[in-house]
Amino acid sequence: MTNSYGGNAGPNKQTLIEEGTSLKGTLSSTCPIMVRGRIEGELETPSLAVSASGAVHGKVKVGELRSEGELAGEFDADTVSLSGSVKDNTVIRAKTLEVKLQSEGKMQVMFGEVELNVGDMPGDKDAGRNKKKGKKDDDPAPGGEGGEGGAAG
Amino acid sequence: MAELTREQVVARAKQGESLAREELNGLDLSGTDLSGADFSRTDLEGVNFEGARLDGTNFKNANLREAFLSSAVLTNANLEKADLEGANLSKANLTGANLNRATLEGAKLTDAILTSALLTNAQLDSAELGKAMLDGASLAHAELVEAYLGGANLTGSDLSNADLSSANLEEANFRQANLSDAELAEAAAPGANFEGASLLRSNLRSANLEGCNLRDIDGRHANFSDTRTAGATLTGAKLFSAQTKTGRFDGVIAEWVDTSPEGTGTKRVSGDEVAAFLAGKLSEVPTATRYFGKGDVLRDASLEFGAGSDVEIDSRFEKCKIVLSEGTNLVIGEDGVLSECTISGLGNITIHGQFLERDSPGIIGPRLLVVSEQGAVAGAVEQAAESTQFAFAPGCSLRMKILRARAK
Repeated sequence: MTNSYGGNAGPNKQTLIEEGTSLKGTLSSTCPIMVRGRIEGELETPSLAVSASGAVHGKVKVGELRSEGELAGEFDADTVSLSGSVKDNTVIRAKTLEVKLQSEGKMQVMFGEVELNVGDMPGDKDAGRNKKKGKKDDDPAPGGEGGEGGAAG
Repeated sequence: MAELTREQVVARAKQGESLAREELNGLDLSGTDLSGADFSRTDLEGVNFEGARLDGTNFKNANLREAFLSSAVLTNANLEKADLEGANLSKANLTGANLNRATLEGAKLTDAILTSALLTNAQLDSAELGKAMLDGASLAHAELVEAYLGGANLTGSDLSNADLSSANLEEANFRQANLSDAELAEAAAPGANFEGASLLRSNLRSANLEGCNLRDIDGRHANFSDTRTAGATLTGAKLFSAQTKTGRFDGVIAEWVDTSPEGTGTKRVSGDEVAAFLAGKLSEVPTATRYFGKGDVLRDASLEFGAGSDVEIDSRFEKCKIVLSEGTNLVIGEDGVLSECTISGLGNITIHGQFLERDSPGIIGPRLLVVSEQGAVAGAVEQAAESTQFAFAPGCSLRMKILRARAK
């Protein structure tokens, strides 16, 4: 692990996990982290960038997450931009998520079994005028839990 | 006649003295080490640099006409605006060299290594670049008229706006290269590999593309008129607005082509329709469109949409079962709400409105699922057997479980 300094300016410093480096444990940083190697464990940082050669497995709390590499575990973020792959049993919670559309035959992100909780809870905007009298207007949830949304006709 | 001897040149270079603007034409400097020397604006016409070490040497604006640079090491050399007309650079190593605006007309670059070299606006008309390594090179706006690039490796290179008219590109490798707005009229490229290359708006009129690998090319708005493509592979090519009508596409191999304006794969033609599309007759093939307007409510319905049809829903659907055939485009408009519905099949789904499931998974096996910034999905998505392609715009709301395809 190294601290790289983009010139002499302090604000440009970032923690770099270089390719071929593997880190297990807890890493908490006040500067951005760039992962070209592998991290397993708990991670807290304002900004995390994972390159195509990088992998982060574990529990991550981050402001901005940009990944072109491999993600697995639990990710809490403000903004997420994804390409690369997301492994099984991964949960991503974010205010915003961006996955760009790639051209035919090319996959921007390979998803395993993944849970995405992004933005506000989707609610049935028309439920009020369509629901049965007296029925509670619950927010729907994945897997059918509470998913009625008051929409029964 | 040279003003300095070979020994004097080597000695001055060693001492770090500039050799700029000297008259050194016709000198034999073969096998010397002149790395880092300054030959800017120097007259080096006909100089023999065979096997010389010229790493990082400055030849900016130098006259190197008819110079012999075979097997020379010119890595990271500065040859910007140098005149290399008729020079012999065969087997030279020009990795990372700057040849922007250099004149290389008729130059011999056979087997030269030009990996990541800068050749923007370079004049390479009639140059010999057979088996040259040009991977990652910048050749934007370069002139390559009648150049020979047989077997050359141009993987990932930038040839945007380059002129390759009547060039010989046989078995050259243009994989993932950028040839947008390039001129390729009457180019001979039998057996060339263009897989994944951008040929956006390029002109390939009367080009020979027989046996080419054109898989996944971006040929939107390109001119393929009067091209010969027998034995070429065109599967996955983006061909929206391409001029293919007068091309000879007999014997072309194409399982499907992408006809979407944005080249996103959301519209494609396959099977027999490909030939009709290439012949410019596809407009005669009707595309079924279904529209469900705002304010309508549809309950407990089963709907099945045929291959290639376009479906747009601005209504409210409740407890409906929707089956999409392969290539069907389903758009849930901003006003559309699908509540407690299931969507299955290998279609392309774009959600600007809402999809709220009850039974899990609510979406089964789509080829493509796009959720726009206004879109919301609460539910599980079971991916297609060959994985589903996802796109999510910032601002969308998701409570989504992504599941792998289940064995049927």
